[in-house]
Amino acid sequence: MNNRLRVLRAERNWSQADLAQRLDVSRQSVNAIETGKYDPSLPLAFRLSRLFELPIEAIFTDGENA
Amino acid sequence: MPKSQAARRYLRRIAISTIVYVFAVFLTLHAVNRGRVPLPEAIGLAMIPSLPIVAIIATVGLYLKEEKDEFQRELVIQSLLWAAGATLSVTSFWSFLHIFGRVAAVDGFHVFVMFWLFVALSGYPLRRYYGGGNGE
Repeated sequence: MNNRLRVLRAERNWSQADLAQRLDVSRQSVNAIETGKYDPSLPLAFRLSRLFELPIEAIFTDGENA
Repeated sequence: MPKSQAARRYLRRIAISTIVYVFAVFLTLHAVNRGRVPLPEAIGLAMIPSLPIVAIIATVGLYLKEEKDEFQRELVIQSLLWAAGATLSVTSFWSFLHIFGRVAAVDGFHVFVMFWLFVALSGYPLRRYYGGGNGE
């Protein structure tokens, strides 16, 4: 699964640590998601969606419609 | 990196359980060195070190239940799986070497220690793989 996390974070001038703090997860988790090494669960995807005020599909793509 | 509340509780519980385990192993080995003990006493003594093992496994279960960071849970589960695989492989390999009369037998209680060594060892490459990045 691909995602636009790095871009969205950069637009807000947030570091990985900033985003991790807002999500209440570790910076390592943010890095793993950003680099596509870990796909978040649906609840975490919804938290990201609320945080960035974007629909989930605007943050994540399944690679087929990217 | 700051650890979560669940991770801090996990480390505290693991430390206590491990100290109790080591103490129980030494207590039982001390009893063994006294010579042959009656069967009921032997059963009781042999059970003493196995109880902290149950506590340690329960501690891992509690951590997986309490940790809110799903990725950290994933890392722990992967570490446990790698360690289980490595432990089973090494003990099978060693057992066959023993059957062939090439190496000495290893007492079963060492397997538990080996498992946790593999958990620790597997954690490092896993965290390097997932945790790279400059944190910008």
